[in-house]
Amino acid sequence: MNSNTTKHGTAGKAPKSPAIQPTSPKSPAMDTPKASDKATDNTQKRRSTNISIALLVTASIIAMGYYFLVVQNSDTLFMAQNKSFFTTDETFLRECMKRPGGFINWAASFFNQFFYYPALGSTIMIAFWAASLWLSKVAYRVSGSWMAVLSLPLVCILVSMIDTGYWLFYLKHTGYWFCATLGYFFATLMVCLQSYTRKWVDSVILTVITALSYPFMGWYSLLALLYTAAMLTFRPHKKYGKKTRISIISLPIAAAIAIPLVFQPYYPELRPEQIWTSGLTFFQSDALDSFYPQLPLIMLAIIPLTFSFLPRTKQAKANKPAITIPLTIAILAASFFWAKESDFQNYNYHAEMRMYCAAEAQDWDKVLEEMSALPGDASREMVLLKNVALLNKGEMGTKMYRYNNNGDNPKNGFDTLHVHMVQVGAPLIYYYHGKTNFASRWCIENSVEFGPSFDNIKLQARCALINGEMDLARKYLDILATSTFYKDWANKLLPITSNPELIKEYPEFDNVRELWSHMGTTLDGDNGLCEMYLLNYFSNTMNKDSKLLQELTLNYAMVQKDIQLFWPRFFQYAHLHAGENMPTHYQEAAYLYGHLEPQNVNINGMPFDKNVVDRYEGFQRLSQSLLAQGMDAKTVGENMKSTYGDTFYWFYFFCRDIHSY
Amino acid sequence: MKLRNIIPSLLLAALLSACDHPTVPTNAQKEDRLPVITPDFTEVTVPSNICPLNFAVQEGATDVVAHVSYPGGSQTFGSGTKVIIEENDWKEMLSKAEGKNLKVEVYAKVNGTWKAFSPFNIYIAPDTIDSYISYRVIQPSYVAYEKLSINERNITNFDEREIYNNMSVSTEDKGQCINCHSYQNFKTDNMLFHMRQAYGGTMIVNNGTLKKIDLKTEETISAGVYPAWHPTRNLIAFSTNKTGQSFHTKDLNKIEVQDTESDLILYDVDKNEVSIISELEDELEVFPTWSPDGKTLYFCSAKFEYKNDSIAKETEMIQRYKEVKYNIYAADFNPDTKEFSNMHVIYNAADSLGKSATLPRVSPDGRHLLFAQAEYGCFHVWHNDADIYMLDLKTLKAEPVKNVNSDRSESYPTWSSNGRWIMVDSRRQDGNYTRPYIAYYDRQGKVHKAFVLPQKDPNFYTFYLRCFNRPEFMVEPVKVTPQEFAKKAKEDAIPAKYAK
Repeated sequence: MNSNTTKHGTAGKAPKSPAIQPTSPKSPAMDTPKASDKATDNTQKRRSTNISIALLVTASIIAMGYYFLVVQNSDTLFMAQNKSFFTTDETFLRECMKRPGGFINWAASFFNQFFYYPALGSTIMIAFWAASLWLSKVAYRVSGSWMAVLSLPLVCILVSMIDTGYWLFYLKHTGYWFCATLGYFFATLMVCLQSYTRKWVDSVILTVITALSYPFMGWYSLLALLYTAAMLTFRPHKKYGKKTRISIISLPIAAAIAIPLVFQPYYPELRPEQIWTSGLTFFQSDALDSFYPQLPLIMLAIIPLTFSFLPRTKQAKANKPAITIPLTIAILAASFFWAKESDFQNYNYHAEMRMYCAAEAQDWDKVLEEMSALPGDASREMVLLKNVALLNKGEMGTKMYRYNNNGDNPKNGFDTLHVHMVQVGAPLIYYYHGKTNFASRWCIENSVEFGPSFDNIKLQARCALINGEMDLARKYLDILATSTFYKDWANKLLPITSNPELIKEYPEFDNVRELWSHMGTTLDGDNGLCEMYLLNYFSNTMNKDSKLLQELTLNYAMVQKDIQLFWPRFFQYAHLHAGENMPTHYQEAAYLYGHLEPQNVNINGMPFDKNVVDRYEGFQRLSQSLLAQGMDAKTVGENMKSTYGDTFYWFYFFCRDIHSY
Repeated sequence: MKLRNIIPSLLLAALLSACDHPTVPTNAQKEDRLPVITPDFTEVTVPSNICPLNFAVQEGATDVVAHVSYPGGSQTFGSGTKVIIEENDWKEMLSKAEGKNLKVEVYAKVNGTWKAFSPFNIYIAPDTIDSYISYRVIQPSYVAYEKLSINERNITNFDEREIYNNMSVSTEDKGQCINCHSYQNFKTDNMLFHMRQAYGGTMIVNNGTLKKIDLKTEETISAGVYPAWHPTRNLIAFSTNKTGQSFHTKDLNKIEVQDTESDLILYDVDKNEVSIISELEDELEVFPTWSPDGKTLYFCSAKFEYKNDSIAKETEMIQRYKEVKYNIYAADFNPDTKEFSNMHVIYNAADSLGKSATLPRVSPDGRHLLFAQAEYGCFHVWHNDADIYMLDLKTLKAEPVKNVNSDRSESYPTWSSNGRWIMVDSRRQDGNYTRPYIAYYDRQGKVHKAFVLPQKDPNFYTFYLRCFNRPEFMVEPVKVTPQEFAKKAKEDAIPAKYAK
């Protein structure tokens, strides 16, 4: 260990290296015993303050990490692991290694799995952060009082985790969520090791090792080289001759430029402009290349280059608490503010993910609770998930319009990413509508675009089981059986692949199987618009054998507001449910349509509930009254929503301009 | 060895070092049946230059040992549930067993007890196989094509590399799809593949020189799609197609790829000229392939008359998709005048059998023609009932090639350059993912049991989520590098001229 790295700055011990000369005008050797004691006291006080600040910063980073990851973004993290993938099989490793930085992507994919329990994954991540923080302190020999500056890269990583918004579904970088954490840890570790080299030859060997790590660490290998060069330039811990110094500084810079060129022929997938950035995530979709979510990753790359300029451990003047404490507080406050501002706390974004996960687990009550709690309009995906929940609970006829059926396509706000439902929740929605071919189709299309995911493979396994494609189901379940957290799920279903009759013993498949088995065989397509396709398909379907399918067709005919489609399905419902009470919404539709087009069906003899009739009359009176006041239709709808928003009447007249996306 | 493969190779090396040569268990309980192994290499006939046939034992075992006997010796292998054979050991066994067989006795430790299964044979044919194959690596996707490559595999070992990767050129809204690849006489100095969408064009390597050509002319339906390079001349027959896709709501065929229009064209590489071979009204001509002497062009065509002017052709095609049935045709060709004549049906699948025959390929001796047949349609890779048939070109009688067929889709048949090996694309493993299967066609005209292309890791096919489409034999590797292809792909395509 180089002498200037020791922590023993006590009086009476002469420093061995000029690099640790105290900044005091007098050298310790010349101090009188009294002055020496005072200096010792000051040093110990400073040291104590520095350690306190370092610990405060560490604690703050840990606290921020837990707050923003676990408290604010548990649903995001769970979805992140759901949309990522990892198997221990060599095939996956080989696939990752097709690009420089493949190993770190593979390792990050491994750690991503732990977000299955968001607190567990976050703890592992934060542990890496704490380790990186202290490694950087050691690597750059920075006083603890400047620890807040060293924490900035970690804040960048944190922000890169919570600012993605709907890019979560569009990431092509399987290991994205842990990649920056592991990459920065690696780069800092290499700088730290470099700072301990005593001979130029050791430095060169370490630089070569770092350069050769490019196929494994990609972008982060190049960052390690640049950090090394910066550290060796501005903070040499060993005095070399001028030529030697220039050589060992030039080497990592030259390596960072040349190594990707050397390796390029081995990566036919890589475009020439990508060789220096392979491993850095780009946020690209069909029509957009977004810089906003990438900004923290760019800052993460740049900030550590400045660490060599921070005051050294023993630079007392620069480490004065009067400077460093306010600075620390300011940096931590600014970091918190930045994270808070970047945290994508769009209510629908989080609620939609929670609804998706609940629907995936068939927790229909939870889906409906989330829908009820919405403060504003839903997304169309949420409306469809709500429909699925009501269908499975048998409550479409009584509660379909108690929930907000207005909705639009989701937006990031910070950029113009166009979210397509088929790339987010449509496969699961198709599955619960019994459209297993369409569900598996979009799982595969999305795998092509964004890589495989646990979520897709689980859904594909379910579709294959419903379709009776047992060999295919076994393939998917065998893959999941090698995962850390889905193996139990897979092993539970694997027996069906050997004995297809066993599927009847799994109630989770009952409704999907019923819809699927009663569905006709046709050749068509959805043109990438899930909701429009489902509404058209089911509202135009007639079925007399399945109550479930028949109810779906009736409801979607109502959503289509098509009177001609409604009546045959209404009568068929009455036939299939003879002797049962007609659900409120179906009565409302019949009563409304009977009045709108009395020439089609005479409703006079129908036994409508008094409440249905009363509310229709009240609805008509109020709407006429408001229109008479000169309000436009939209304002009338808004005014009537609190009173009649739970009726089909309101939906029919005021729920408009719905766009599939 | 590619650097990106270092880690997997290290892991595999560790695995190999752990397996060595285990001892055969004594006092094993005899099981009077064959072991269940994946891939199924039991009783298969393999070429004398094939890579090791590594396999895994699916008996719920914790340990396995395979005792392999060959003329003049025997060896044991086994590590965990896998039997991984080192290439040197394998080559030694093959050299001693050529024309004979390897006898494989499998022992599996199940619930702490060793079981000895009935032995099986691996027959080593006296014939070698072309050292290389190439295929398009693609997920069984429908419209997305973000990651697509044409790969080359040395099948005498496990080396695989990419010939061209579409990501090397563009992605996202500028994404590029790669289509069929073709070689002249199994060699790579004259080869081609086609690219669609961004940077579209046909990449043609002619005597080692790479060109990018735009084969779409005002007079033709599209650029060249399904290609066949003439065996002796610098001429390429293509189909031109207006292709669409639609999706089954429930049928396990899942997807229909349909041509609403298609014709045949001939491209003269030297003159950069396109001419029409066939553009018959109400006929959908597709899948050209040459006889080895280059004097006959075989192709498929379906008679399809649009009857409803009030709807789009695409819509009518979707409504009547089961009526589209292809026959196999032959046309005489004069290479000197480049004229086609005597176009006639040689296999009437549609009218006689109510079937659809596509993807014809002629054996190198010109005697037989392999094709895929199913109930309807042209894209049999998505048709579960599709099987491979062999047509005797002398008697014009066709028989199913039983030993390569399964109850799932078989398509894209092809012959090795010596005519002794047949390769087909099959979805027999799971119905969704196509894998190349190879079968021996012996001198007595018997087709032996097909085996899947061996992989280093026996569980590879379980974990691999992509298809191997349109496998083709090659006698040599492709010489143009992926980077050269990518660089050329970004250049503007040279427009082909239309010649009447």
